[in-house]
Amino acid sequence: MDLSRRNFIKLGGAGAATVAFGGLLSSILSGCSTDSAPAEGASVTGNSNEVVISMPTTSEPASGFDPFFTWGCGEHVHEPLIQSTLITTDTDLNFVNDLATSYECSPDGLTWTFTLRNDAYFTDGEQLSASDVAFTLNGINNSPSAQADLSMVDEAVALDETTVEIRLNKPFNALLYTLAVVGIVPEHAYDSATYGAQPIGSGRYVLEQWDQGQQVIFKANPDYYGQAPTMERVIVVFMEEDASLAAANSQEVDVAYTAATFASSVPEHYELFVCDSVDSRGISFPCVPAGGTKADGENEYPLGNNVTSDLTLRRAMNYAVDRETMINNVLSGYGSPAYSVSDGTPWASEDMIVQTDAEYARGLLEQGGWIAGEDGVLVKDGTRAQFDLYYSSNDSVRQALATEFSNQMAQLGIEVTIHGGGWDDLYPREFADPLLWGWGSNSPTEMYNLIYSAGVGNYSTYENATVDSHIDAALAMTHVEDSYDQWKRAQWDGTEGVAPQGGASWVWLVNVDHLYFKRSGLSIAEQKPHPHGHGWSLVNNVDAWSW
Amino acid sequence: MSRKHLFANEESALHEGNDASLQAASVQAATLSAQGFELPTVFHRPAVRRFNNRRQTKLICLVSAAILVAIALIGVLLMPVAMESDLSQARQAPSFEHPFGTDNLGHDMLIRTVAGLSTSIGIGLFAALVSSIIALILGTVAALGGKKADACITWLTDLMLGIPHIVFLLLISYALGKGFWGVALGVAFTHWPSLCRVIRAEVLQVKQSSYVAVARSLGRSPLYIALHHVLPAVLPQYLVGLILMFPHAILHEAAITFLGFGLPPEQPAIGIILSESMSYLSVGMWWLAVFPGLALLLVVLLFDRAGQGLRRLLDPARAQE
Repeated sequence: MDLSRRNFIKLGGAGAATVAFGGLLSSILSGCSTDSAPAEGASVTGNSNEVVISMPTTSEPASGFDPFFTWGCGEHVHEPLIQSTLITTDTDLNFVNDLATSYECSPDGLTWTFTLRNDAYFTDGEQLSASDVAFTLNGINNSPSAQADLSMVDEAVALDETTVEIRLNKPFNALLYTLAVVGIVPEHAYDSATYGAQPIGSGRYVLEQWDQGQQVIFKANPDYYGQAPTMERVIVVFMEEDASLAAANSQEVDVAYTAATFASSVPEHYELFVCDSVDSRGISFPCVPAGGTKADGENEYPLGNNVTSDLTLRRAMNYAVDRETMINNVLSGYGSPAYSVSDGTPWASEDMIVQTDAEYARGLLEQGGWIAGEDGVLVKDGTRAQFDLYYSSNDSVRQALATEFSNQMAQLGIEVTIHGGGWDDLYPREFADPLLWGWGSNSPTEMYNLIYSAGVGNYSTYENATVDSHIDAALAMTHVEDSYDQWKRAQWDGTEGVAPQGGASWVWLVNVDHLYFKRSGLSIAEQKPHPHGHGWSLVNNVDAWSW
Repeated sequence: MSRKHLFANEESALHEGNDASLQAASVQAATLSAQGFELPTVFHRPAVRRFNNRRQTKLICLVSAAILVAIALIGVLLMPVAMESDLSQARQAPSFEHPFGTDNLGHDMLIRTVAGLSTSIGIGLFAALVSSIIALILGTVAALGGKKADACITWLTDLMLGIPHIVFLLLISYALGKGFWGVALGVAFTHWPSLCRVIRAEVLQVKQSSYVAVARSLGRSPLYIALHHVLPAVLPQYLVGLILMFPHAILHEAAITFLGFGLPPEQPAIGIILSESMSYLSVGMWWLAVFPGLALLLVVLLFDRAGQGLRRLLDPARAQE
């Protein structure tokens, strides 16, 4: 065959490029595995009393480890590790004493008196006393940037060294759940400018090192009053989702957080660790017709929606949504159906649970006067069953859930148009358009926020005096255990409530399992249901983990 | 460039003249090899017979334009389908059914890519039109409007060129509330400066030329001169600039959308597809980035080819530079 020089050079060049590109590819692919595997039965650091954990970059507390801002008791609740709390909750969400040795409530539900242990010392050597507790609670209440809601507390007063009295402006026993995540700070050594980066506490761990944007290292507090932690050093590294997977692939971390998308690619020497959660995804439906505005803090936002204010429509959507399909399609099976914001907790109501029944939903719509129009979308009195659903655009799971919800509702004749946006775009719409939210914590305050008429999270503006009275009754119980029944009745008491057969002010979709890759050999202590926020909850009991 | 051209022209001239003798030579060579003679490898040989350059360039232009228009139209038609998703089909590798695979939401990536390219071409068209009109007006005013106007516009052009382009785009898009119009206006208002400079220089050149001087001496009005002498001279530059602005506009649209300051994620757009693909690359879903990325590259190259070709056709004097 004849070969011109031009073609010869072309061919040579192409060949060289192919070889070079192939080499590059193979070196990238093979670069993921390392040869030297760390020893079994010990951390990747080589020590058997240490553990390295990766967390999302959003888990890093921006203002440091200061309960006066967000640490422990902010939007994402967890045990504060560095500080002690008055009480704490066990895996069944019962209260266990921490600093408190006993506590009781006055019959009117307005005064809680805590007696403290006398052997708790801050890491600077000072003893922790009742005045520190009072200082912390009053301080959070007076701090404008504190995320913990202690607005029901009038004041906290130290009666003597070991007794503190918390005076409330209304009965609110769910305060105990908040107290279980509020770390007590030292009155004598608190400076809001420096405390976040150099926290002093009396908890299980002390902060050894914090490299902002990278990692936090905790080491065991040698003077801790309780049982000494088995994990003497805990290293938390902050990284993006794919970096977390890469870190596990190269055996740089012992526990790597991950998401359902990655769950099938479990790295060698690791196993998938699935934590049940009350991290619920749900959609709020404005229950009042459009018109007027509603205040959220200092902002006034438009109120109401002429489509979702129709009760039949909201009920039908609650019955029609197929949560199992959603879990399989969106979460690869790593989730559980959500029927309320507090599934699986002692205050969760059975009546919130609905079986998917599209036929029943269709019947409801027909009875409610919704008739299919020419394009298949239902119409009632000239109103098309069409609404906009907003979701946070940087969360792929929420985008997928919104998409799947829209697809499912289309089969019912309801046209759901989805829009992604940043929270700056979303908050102004919270009272006027359905929004896809993530909520859930190990506390009934979550339910209070969402369904109480004056709750800060009552986006659906569902205001029902009966529901409110059940919640008020629940909060007034002097023993929290007695309040569970009233919480359930607030959801459905046989005639009224927010349940799907009642007000149906939300549709709850799924509880997202929190997934981790954990190195084989590491034994993680039993977990409480994880609240909203895929981060610190995992290490609530890191002191009891072992290799 | 020019050397190659000359050679190509000579080659084609050779073809026209010596076809018969060439054929004779090849027949002779075939006979020789049949008789057992070894022939040396021929390194110099005229390329295969082909169209002359002008026809070839025209063809390239037309084909590029046809492909681009087809993509734009098909994309618009596919837009509703591209928004549809079937989560039970999510995360599938390329197959016969889904040649480009599917994404995390079960979108068919081929459809979504074409729709995304169509969005990009639409934004590019709008932006290039607006930008080129701004450039034409400002460039002409600068050249003909006196010293002060020239100083102002030259200063503004330099200022615009001095600001980092992508940052400026982000600012405009963010200020306009992102979304389609944020991107389209952002891209439209930032691409005129370089074309403006070219047009200003062209108009200045035409203004100095003798035929304009003659026309002026003959008493032609400034408007007559502008329409009959300046505009025809500048038009080729304008058209070429317009088309060559497309690739820039499209790439910038993709870039700010990729950075999250552009279109919302449910919209099909190449920038969104590429930025979404980032999170799935580490689980091996390579097809989310490779095919849409190549498609974007292809479209940009097509525009570039069409623009360069058009320049050669419209401006033969400069084509030989």
